Amino acid sequence: MRKLPLKLAPSILDLPCPEIENRITQFIKDYVEKSGAKGVVVGISGGIDSSTTAALSALALGGNRVLGLILPEKETQDIQDIKNAQLVAEKFKFKTQRIDITPMLEAFYTSIPIFDRRDKVANGNVKARTRMIYIYYHANKLNRLVCGSSDKSETMMGYFTKWGDVAGDIWPLMDLYKLQVRQLAKHIGIPKRIVDAPPSPKLWPGQLAEEELGIRYDQVDLILCGLEHFMSVGKIAEQLGISKDLVDKVKSRWLSAEHKRRMILTAKLEYRTVGSDFRLPRSP
Amino acid sequence: MKEKINVALAQISSTRGDKAANISKIEKFTLKAKKKGAELVIFPELSLTGYTVRDQVYELAETIPGPSTKAIENIAKKAKVHVIFGMPELSEETQATIHNAAVLVGPEGLIGKYRKLYLPTHSIFEEKRYYRPGYEAVALDSALGKIGLIICYDIYFPEVTRLTRLKGAQLIVCISASPAIRRTFFETLTMARAIENTAFFAFVNRVGIEDGLQFWGGSRLVGPNGRVLAQAKYDDEDLVTCDVDYSDIKPIETFVPALRDLRPELYEKLKEQAEKL
Repeated sequence: MRKLPLKLAPSILDLPCPEIENRITQFIKDYVEKSGAKGVVVGISGGIDSSTTAALSALALGGNRVLGLILPEKETQDIQDIKNAQLVAEKFKFKTQRIDITPMLEAFYTSIPIFDRRDKVANGNVKARTRMIYIYYHANKLNRLVCGSSDKSETMMGYFTKWGDVAGDIWPLMDLYKLQVRQLAKHIGIPKRIVDAPPSPKLWPGQLAEEELGIRYDQVDLILCGLEHFMSVGKIAEQLGISKDLVDKVKSRWLSAEHKRRMILTAKLEYRTVGSDFRLPRSP
Repeated sequence: MKEKINVALAQISSTRGDKAANISKIEKFTLKAKKKGAELVIFPELSLTGYTVRDQVYELAETIPGPSTKAIENIAKKAKVHVIFGMPELSEETQATIHNAAVLVGPEGLIGKYRKLYLPTHSIFEEKRYYRPGYEAVALDSALGKIGLIICYDIYFPEVTRLTRLKGAQLIVCISASPAIRRTFFETLTMARAIENTAFFAFVNRVGIEDGLQFWGGSRLVGPNGRVLAQAKYDDEDLVTCDVDYSDIKPIETFVPALRDLRPELYEKLKEQAEKL
């Protein structure tokens, strides 16, 4: 439980890291074991979320049951990112496989009559979804699960590609805000240069998450935390000393992205309906 | 009635939807507890079926008595102990009306049951969607003394525990399936319920993970003065035993005579105010 009084200051996101590490590794281990899978596949970019997810998976399962897929493509490829991913793999003793997805993307681009190289967002989403196909292929072939890396901040903001980078079987970090992922990453020993790097989905050159979102993570995380706790827009703005407009923008973005988080919707026509009132236990 | 009994807190994880596997685990832990000298072995809430069974509850629920209570009665008979466990109880009068129940069986068979009064339906809990609430607090007569039964969220409502105490329970048992984020609440409330009722309070919680919910264990037996007499591990299955000496209640009840000082007229006021809320 959060400390009281519920005051939106950075300390409200302080994480009891050893306990959280333990909970997450237990969660991964339990789910993978119950599923009967041999391990997990994690798409790793060299950024903080995927590095932390892969490292926690290795701590939970042992490095030999974790495969980190490094999937660069020519437009956004950065040798430093690849080095970062390999550094984490060495430290946490899991294997990596590097596959350049550029030929696959080019084949896709040239086969689409309406393809438009100028449409950054649509093309960026193709990259995320192509990576998803590579990751799931390896998971199927190797009898492993896909461990997703999304955190709570980007999931609440809808800052991800539907059916793309968010695809997975489990998401160990999805209840942690970005600032909390940073704490946990530091705690488990993710190298500082990865923890401190400005986050980017790397869907096009020069893309930076905070720039694109129009707000810094240290602000958005506190706004989202306030919304999580049913605080009013006015109260959040007052406590953080920011404009109500900014809080409203974050709130609208959070609410309008529910279609990306709860993906199955159909018309209610029959006795029990998929996605709404079939309420079944989730079996691995 | 016995003055002193030995109680085992059987902190298990259940296999969701697999009653046979869970009965087998209940048997294993009961026999192990018997070897340690236990006369009463307590299992967690919905230990027969698992907690988050959702729509499967309609297939899993059984009447009391029914095949599963019979199977656990046989275990109790074989081990010559009393057993408390949790299960979804199907009403005999209907086909899909279900209670979240706690059951007490002894070597002589079924002793009684309690139907959970307070069904959490908030946060990740959806019990009111599936269960009908009970209408009565319960204290069951047994060869081991009068035993009060409550279930998990009931602990937040002191009147339930108080009623079992006023009905004569000196050992109050709370079976639970509490997820980790609520640990500090339960650790505080278990002590409070014991102290304010000057009674022994046995809390037996689930372990294991279901749908991302991590049940934290931490089962404990608290004495009438609020001291923790036995404590199980966090997060892992465990079996701890502890003596309950009913004669220990008297010196505490004289030291803080909470029962002597009850003010029944305030309960009328409580009722009036609660109706206006």
